[in-house]
Amino acid sequence: MKITIGLEIHEQIATNTKLFCNCSTSYREVKPNSNICEICTGMPGAKPMPPNRKAIDAAIEIALMFNCEIIQEPVYIQRKHYSYPDLPSGYQRTSLPIAKNGNLLGIGIWEVHFEEDPGKYDPVTGRVDYNRSGVPLVEIVTAPQLHSPEEARNFLRELTKVLQYTGKTREEGGTMRVDTNISLEGGARVEIKNINSVRGAYKALLFEITRQKNLMTHGRSVKRETRAFIESQMITRAMRVKEEAEDYRYIPDPDLPPVAITNEKIEYIKNILPEAPHLKEKRFIVEYKIKADDAKIIASELELANAFEKVAMVIPAQQAASWIRDEVRRILEYNGISFKNSGIEPDYIIELLNMMNSGKITVRTAKKVMELLPELRKSPRIIVEENSWVKISDENYVEAACEDALKENPGAVKDYLSGKREALNFIVGRVMSKTRGRADPARVLEILRKKVEGVMK
Amino acid sequence: MGTLDEKLHSLRAGEISAEQNIQNFLDKIENEKYNAILYVNSEALEEARNVDRKIKQGRAGKLSGLAIAVKSNINVKGLKTSCASKTLENYSATYDATVIERIRREDGIVIGMANMDEFACGSSGETSYFGPILNPAARGRIPGGSSSGSAASIAGGLSDLAIGSDTGGSIRNPASHCGIIGIKPTYGLVPRQGLIDLAMSFDQIGTLGRDVYSTALLLEVIAGYSKREAVSRKVENLDYTSKLTPDLEGYKIGYVTEFEELTDRRINSEIKKSLEKLEMQGAELVEVNLPNLNKALPTYYLTTFVEFFSATRKYDGRRYGYKIEDVCGEEILRRIHIGSYISQKEYSGKYYRKALQFRSLITRELLEALRDIDLIAGPTTPKLPHRLGEKISPLDMYSYDVLTVQAKQVKSEISLLEYSFRQNLLKNRRFSM
Repeated sequence: MKITIGLEIHEQIATNTKLFCNCSTSYREVKPNSNICEICTGMPGAKPMPPNRKAIDAAIEIALMFNCEIIQEPVYIQRKHYSYPDLPSGYQRTSLPIAKNGNLLGIGIWEVHFEEDPGKYDPVTGRVDYNRSGVPLVEIVTAPQLHSPEEARNFLRELTKVLQYTGKTREEGGTMRVDTNISLEGGARVEIKNINSVRGAYKALLFEITRQKNLMTHGRSVKRETRAFIESQMITRAMRVKEEAEDYRYIPDPDLPPVAITNEKIEYIKNILPEAPHLKEKRFIVEYKIKADDAKIIASELELANAFEKVAMVIPAQQAASWIRDEVRRILEYNGISFKNSGIEPDYIIELLNMMNSGKITVRTAKKVMELLPELRKSPRIIVEENSWVKISDENYVEAACEDALKENPGAVKDYLSGKREALNFIVGRVMSKTRGRADPARVLEILRKKVEGVMK
Repeated sequence: MGTLDEKLHSLRAGEISAEQNIQNFLDKIENEKYNAILYVNSEALEEARNVDRKIKQGRAGKLSGLAIAVKSNINVKGLKTSCASKTLENYSATYDATVIERIRREDGIVIGMANMDEFACGSSGETSYFGPILNPAARGRIPGGSSSGSAASIAGGLSDLAIGSDTGGSIRNPASHCGIIGIKPTYGLVPRQGLIDLAMSFDQIGTLGRDVYSTALLLEVIAGYSKREAVSRKVENLDYTSKLTPDLEGYKIGYVTEFEELTDRRINSEIKKSLEKLEMQGAELVEVNLPNLNKALPTYYLTTFVEFFSATRKYDGRRYGYKIEDVCGEEILRRIHIGSYISQKEYSGKYYRKALQFRSLITRELLEALRDIDLIAGPTTPKLPHRLGEKISPLDMYSYDVLTVQAKQVKSEISLLEYSFRQNLLKNRRFSM
């Protein structure tokens, strides 16, 4: 059965001030209703200030990342009327498209526009917090060209990456809102609102397909309607049918002249545009000849990808890629941070891998130093020196440590001699701890084997 | 009573104090019978004493303690800005409109909030929730509207100056009926931040006074670019008072033949006399045709109803106590319903968009007419004010605006000089009086 899915994605644009006034956009970390004024609370008589140009430029940049054509005629900002407690003026200001006809992963992007976020209404207490009211949003509308929840999820992940690449959306994340349209062959189109994450979109679509299939198998028709996603239960619930569809009575906002986007502006933004993640990934595979899996992970964050390119200028590319993919990612995930905020500098990675490759430190030490970087935020060379972690190349010292370990663990030696080969690994571990990891474990194993097997002879 | 110019001299010379000036008006307001002032500023005397100190130090601003009545749709922090509606009867402004900030900066004193037609929807001064306003200049007649209280406070001697708002004639109409001067500046010249909306693309704050000098002085204070709104005009060096002169040598003044056809002959004969006076002062009179004038009124009302509907969505009962539709007068309700009806998705192409197209047409026509002349002179209203309480149909009421609406269709530097004309003339193209 053919499934057709289209998405509308809303994301907050990262600006210091709101779209139509000078209030700060921080709304999470401050007291309710502290970053507000008469404009963003819609007091009688308040008018919007000229729209925040930085927000509009950000929307243009985002649209260009999707290869959109920027609208050249002046763009009107409209009033979308509806009544809800979080909407202080009874309408939301939303622009007509600033760009059209883009694409991402082969999926069409119909249009991109900007609008203002409403406040936050708490239905339990009945209170409204207007700190968020007037924060700029960008909305991206796709063509209905997705055909499964998996595909939609994949698309949204890629889109999130692209947005992060621009650095123009809010870094802390969790601000994405998605509306989705879905129809099954032979059924009407259903819109699902109130989705707040990629996972939510996936779950909502899964549920909706099951629901619609069930209706059809029982010979009932799927109504054209709007449904709400209930995240706590991972289900959708009917909101309104088509006949009750709201008429927003759009009018161009008389308080705002249309926004003109000049050619110079478009050219300027085009010049500073970052390479899109999926293109970067492809280029890495071709240019650096690294594994496709590694390229995908490295390209997932712009700063990480940039670091890779810097490291690969000095270190063999595949080694750099593997190290970043395995070690760096592991540490980022463990700490729950992005590379940008990790304190790991590309120069640190180069220094560390150079020390490792030249035999100055062991692999084990290198991994340990790597783990410490987000906390210590200083040069690996200094960390190694301060902790005296330079690899022991004095054979006599290592041999003595091996000798001691063998003497202290006669049981393990016996086990090994009776055929339990892994018992020797235990002794290697003892030697490593005696030398505080500074010995080369491969060399230790070699020495131990020679000594034990020498006894046998 | 001397002119405002003379009073300013006395204030600055210390012959009268700002405190005395304000006290005089407060006494008069206490006994006023026009229902012109709804709320008095209880801080006015205190503010006057501060101004007196500044006068003594020689650093008082242009308005030096003059009393200013403010229409009740312009936010004055701490005062009830009710729009003369039950909807906002409990709303105390939380901020000062930009024009109020500018008046305070020049040491003008807000004496009180003036009565008006509810939400500025009316041309007669009869639709206030707080009762009709009386015309101090013509007993038993309507004062005109919607800035009725502002006009009556000047005509009745309750303030030195007043500000009002004009959308389709709301300053010029009551000024005309009350025999004073009122001016609607070009759209975008005076900041609207803090003016409660009627129709955003037409609304403009303007000034009222006993003579042209008064209105020019106050306009000089409140006009000028503001970065706090998007439609503000970037104009500089606003100086009107020094340009007042009765000499019209070299001026071309247009008169519109279509105006005459629409207007009562008693008014026409007054206009004729005025035009002759202008000619005697050296102006050249030029006949102007505005063939699309008959489309101005329907275009105006279609547009304003939709904008008013949009503007009133915030009065949903959640924040100001009442839902506007539940407590407003019938004229307000009519406009909201029509505005809601014609902005529906299925009709907006038929009505609202068409109205916007006609607006462009009328704008072009007026700009064309103004290309070769300095200004247009004509009557403010087509008929004389009716008796207070007399029932007239909504359409007859709307037709009061037939001569004043077209100025607002034009967001440009044009001027229409109208019947409010009295003593001298403003040599500046930015006005519509």
